[in-house]
Amino acid sequence: MDLLKSIAVAASGLRGQAGRMRVIAENLANADSTPDRAGVDPYRRKIVTFQGRLDRELDAQVVELGRVERDRGAFRTKLDPGHPAADAAGQVRMPNVNSLIESMDMREAQRSYEANLNVISSTRRMLQRTIDILRA
Amino acid sequence: MSNTGLNLMGALKTRMHWHQSRQKLLAENVSNADTPRFKPHDLKAPSPAGGGLVLAQTSPLHLGPAGSVNGFDPRDPKRFETTPSGNSVNLEDEMLKVAQNQSDYQLAASLYSKGLGLMKIAIGKGR
Repeated sequence: MDLLKSIAVAASGLRGQAGRMRVIAENLANADSTPDRAGVDPYRRKIVTFQGRLDRELDAQVVELGRVERDRGAFRTKLDPGHPAADAAGQVRMPNVNSLIESMDMREAQRSYEANLNVISSTRRMLQRTIDILRA
Repeated sequence: MSNTGLNLMGALKTRMHWHQSRQKLLAENVSNADTPRFKPHDLKAPSPAGGGLVLAQTSPLHLGPAGSVNGFDPRDPKRFETTPSGNSVNLEDEMLKVAQNQSDYQLAASLYSKGLGLMKIAIGKGR
């Protein structure tokens, strides 16, 4: 039945956005993760990728999380000569996480999540209306 | 004896099927709102039976008419929101379509139950 299939497709979208939220939370939590000695890279920001997949059972293109890639951007540096990870010039390399970008990304994930929820509730109302035919 | 009443039910059934398929496509568009290079689809508005003419193809070498592709909306409306990744789903637009689809479906479903009520009156078991 097509209505149940649309719920399943929207649920795949929910799963995708939830996975994206998880990666964003990971980035935000590690925004200050510095190594404990010099010469070691700090935390590198993770980037989530999406890919469409044709689900033959549902006969629809569902979404799923692709590989979680690493951001290849440069690290921030901070002058802190007393830090155990400071180099000869006293600079400490900080993770390349920008909390503004992360919170924007989070809003976008939230918006897509809500859109999927909206589709599910609308489809459920359609199903409910179909069942109501029996009661008429 | 004409079966006008049953025709009505058949038409409503087709309509409801159409809305179900459209809901599935819209769900697909919304869930792929972040998939790179995804283009949203929509169904063509249903046309009355026998209204559309198609070219007869008697050989596989015949070319079909350009444009309409098996029931999908051939029109390519202007999309003002294409992300750098090539995704052109506009969530507001899709939400609008979902809401519209839902209310149209509910309209068809109410008409269907009204039709059932009419039949009950006809067989004398109304109320």
